Parts: sequence; structure tokens; C-alpha cells
Amino acid sequence: MRPFVLNYVRPAEDPAVTAPYTYDSALQLNVLPDGRPAILDRTVLLATGTTTSTAGSKTHFDD
Amino acid sequence: MTVLILTCRQDVTADMVVARLHDHGVPLMRLDPADLPGAAALSTEYVSGDFQGYLSTGGRLLSMSSLRSIWVRRPGAPAAHAPEPSPWLTAETEQALYGMLYATQARWMNHPSASAQARCKPWQLRIAQRSNFAVPPTVITTFPYAARQFAEQYGDIVVKAASGPPSGGPPVALPTTRIGPDADFAAVSAGPTLLQRYIPKQADVRLTYVGGRMYAARKPAAEGQVDGRYGTSEHTWTAVDTPDRIARAVHDFIDLAGLAYAAFDFAEDEEGVWWFLECNQGGQFGFIELETGQPIAEEVARWLRA
Repeated sequence: MRPFVLNYVRPAEDPAVTAPYTYDSALQLNVLPDGRPAILDRTVLLATGTTTSTAGSKTHFDD
Repeated sequence: MTVLILTCRQDVTADMVVARLHDHGVPLMRLDPADLPGAAALSTEYVSGDFQGYLSTGGRLLSMSSLRSIWVRRPGAPAAHAPEPSPWLTAETEQALYGMLYATQARWMNHPSASAQARCKPWQLRIAQRSNFAVPPTVITTFPYAARQFAEQYGDIVVKAASGPPSGGPPVALPTTRIGPDADFAAVSAGPTLLQRYIPKQADVRLTYVGGRMYAARKPAAEGQVDGRYGTSEHTWTAVDTPDRIARAVHDFIDLAGLAYAAFDFAEDEEGVWWFLECNQGGQFGFIELETGQPIAEEVARWLRA
């Protein structure tokens, strides 16, 4: 029998968002293609959703 | 003295704190346990009653004797990026890394043992009660008749998972869902089921606690929205004051849980009461800081460098 709560499961929204930044091990920060730290671009942060509450709680417990 | 940040590379929320620490000239090492062994390395010696340990990554070397504090943000599983990963290698690497870190005098945000306990949602509910939060009536049961009785008593209820959505198959979501009292509860016997009285809310409240300071933010709920993490709303988060009664309860909860950082979720009802929903020991704060301007990253950095 399927547990009761699983009757309310639904497909997850597509998480396939390509982050437009890469990690710079010298700075220990993520940087944009133009070399600026990613955190300086508020629009990028909000668009990629990487700082929101549903970003990865199942894996990282940071909901 | 150096700050150690355990997180994955893509974590831009960690970037917000790293940048503040750079501004203050604080030495730091950012390390993903998934990179160990491989891109990261460690060595620990227990010789002649002495203890020495070293971590290395990205060309940096960190001695445990100069470790000031540890921020556990979004670490990967140890050895996850190893060329030949295995559960055994993860267990061995976890012992080596965290055993070495536990042996230091460094301050933790948060200590993994406190975090593990704090992630247990049913435990949270009891601690919330003891801290004098308003906690919605809740039942967690495998008895169908108990679920049915709860539904009949409270009428309007929600069901939610304690541990999150299931993993292993295609990605799924399991949002808190409102159900009617006429639901068929037979399947409750197939797995523990968490039912809670539905709180008609006018807003979601997120309170971020950082080392003694609190930052509360409020977002009006969309019409009929049950789970604030799902669905869209034209509203944004705005900073609000923390009521004294809530502040006292937060302090009590934090003391009982042994945490240095936590993000609390509340449902604000139509009378303005903040109902405790859950406490996320590693809760995100980036979205709150971006929308409210509350200096949470700066506060985390301040705590880490203190």
C-alpha cells in the first residue's frame, strides 16, 4: 500500500537552470564570465534561484 | 586564525559571507568534503599525547591549531567526487575529516550533532512547545482511526512530510497540502503520517537567527496559498520587528537545540499570531537578504570571525 502522504506528491519543477557563473578557487568565490563576483549581480542570483528556500533542501538540509 | 567553510562550489549564499570575510581581511578556507580525497587532502597525527591536523585545498594549507570557527553551509558528502566513490570511502573520509574537526577547539555554526537532532521535525515540535511558541495541533501516526479522528476534530487540516520528498526516482515535490476531513485515511497504516491543523494565514514569516541576533521578514500570502515555498505571489519579503514574546521563545528554542544559526518559519494568522511551522538549522538566507536588505551575511561573518 502506498503511504498516505505520497498521494500528494507531484512532479518537481524543472531544476535545469544553468548558472552563469563558475567557481574561482583563488578568490574562493563564484565569478561571472566578465570576472566579477556573481554576488554583485542581483538579477542573476534571483533568476537562477540559487539562494531561495527550495534550492536543495533534500540533499543539503538548507530549506 | 582561519575560518573554515564547508560547502559546495556552486553555493553563492556562501559567497555572500566569503566576500564579507574578505572585506574584513579574515583568512578562510572553503572546502567541499566531496572533494576529499582528490582536490582536497588531509592529515592528522596523534603522537606522544599531541594532536596535529592539516587540511589542504586550492593551494591553501590549514593547520587545526589555527582554526577559529567552522561554518557548515552546504557540504557535499565526503568523497562524493572521488574517482571511485563508495559508501565505504564516504564513511572512512567522514571519520577522518569530521573526527579531526571535532578534536579542535573551534566554534561551530552549527555543530553537526546539534544539526542532526534539529533536523528531526517531530522533535522540533516538542521543543517549540517547551519554548512557548504557538504550535498548531499535530498528529504523527500510523493508525488510520487516529488520523480520521484528528481530521474530524479539526476539520481543516494539512498533510506534510517530516523528512521531505522521497528520493531515488524522478525528482518530485511534496508540498504541505490541505486535505478535507472526508479523505480516505486507510493508507496511513503504510507510513507515518503527519497531519496538522490548517492555519489560515495572511502571511509567511521567516525569522533568521544568527548568534544571538534575529532578523524577521514577512511576506503576505497569496490567496489560498498553503505552502509558502510553492506557487507564485506578487508579494515580496519585507523586514518586520520581532515581537518580544517570539524573541524569548526563539532564545529558549536555540538554547534547548544548541544551535548558533537557525531559520524559523511561521504562519501569521488573521489575528497576527505567529504559528511555529518549523526550524531549519541550515535554512537559506540569501533570498531574504536580497529582498529585505537585512545584513544576515555580515552577521554570519561577524560570528565566524569573533
